[in-house]
Amino acid sequence: MTPHETIRPLLALSAAGLLDPEGERQVREHVRVCPECAAALGGLAALAAGLGALPSPKPPAALVARTQTRVAAQLAGRRDRRSGMLLALAGCACGWVVSLAAWSAWDALGANPALLIWLEFSTVLAGVTAAAVIRRRRRLERSLE
Amino acid sequence: MIYEAATGEDLLLAETNAETDEAVRLRRRDPATLTAAVARYQHRLYRYLLRLVHEPATADDLFQQTWLHVAGQIHRYDPSRSFDTWLFAIAHNAAMDLLRRRPGESLDDPDRGAPWAATEPATQPEALTLLITAERSAILAAEMAGLPALFREVLTLRFEEGMKLEEIAEVTRTPLSTVKSRVQRALEYLRRNLTARWRREDLI
Repeated sequence: MTPHETIRPLLALSAAGLLDPEGERQVREHVRVCPECAAALGGLAALAAGLGALPSPKPPAALVARTQTRVAAQLAGRRDRRSGMLLALAGCACGWVVSLAAWSAWDALGANPALLIWLEFSTVLAGVTAAAVIRRRRRLERSLE
Repeated sequence: MIYEAATGEDLLLAETNAETDEAVRLRRRDPATLTAAVARYQHRLYRYLLRLVHEPATADDLFQQTWLHVAGQIHRYDPSRSFDTWLFAIAHNAAMDLLRRRPGESLDDPDRGAPWAATEPATQPEALTLLITAERSAILAAEMAGLPALFREVLTLRFEEGMKLEEIAEVTRTPLSTVKSRVQRALEYLRRNLTARWRREDLI
């Protein structure tokens, strides 16, 4: 294979700036003495410059806004799922503590009306909290649709 | 001189720190950081996708799909690596999945036989140098659009995104030698076609 044939496939890579220093040196030396390859390299370099200067299409503004909204909603949904899980775990722990406390109190105080009122109140409070969490979750799911 | 060098280093360091901070915020799923990234990368990502799939509606879908995937998988992003490369690799996978299902679009490495491999000298290559002007951009874009998807991809990543060889290989998950071969064949093919076309149209 002649030097000309060896160098020829390297011209495009040289124009693309993808040759290692040794390959680049070989190309430069060859094009100094080979007008045909020098001209080909010039053409390829111009082509590379033309490719880098092609008109850039603009994304529709609505697309970017829509994507940002969906990305933010997805992140919020993930955060909400995590906080919902933590809340559920905290609720379970509280329920367990309340059960133990109620058991002990029932043993210690007997059938006391104040204790029954307190148990009723805590049940209603737990129900309201659960309803608020479910409502928030539904609102978020609607926003994701 | 020393002052200038120090200032340059400081700027580089500040830039690197800013990028690291952003990477950390991204990993923490900070919504503001991620939506800012959507805005910052909008032109580059949309252009890459449009070059690959041609139709704006499909590029729109892939653009959203890419960012939703990023939002879902951001915890897997390694801040020590380039976010650009990670983002474009996700976009590459989405686009390739779509192109694989599209009839008439081949994702096999283009045959090394003609017409992609021919490297015969152009008869008037210097004329090409003079003719790559703004008014010829449309012709060049049309010729590029006619290339196989794998060629279009490496050309846009190299010349429009300015990615290095290693980065292109990472995005496309191909060996360095394959990337080089694709760039070389795509450029040679474009040069040959453009020269012939302009000669046909008496532009040379």
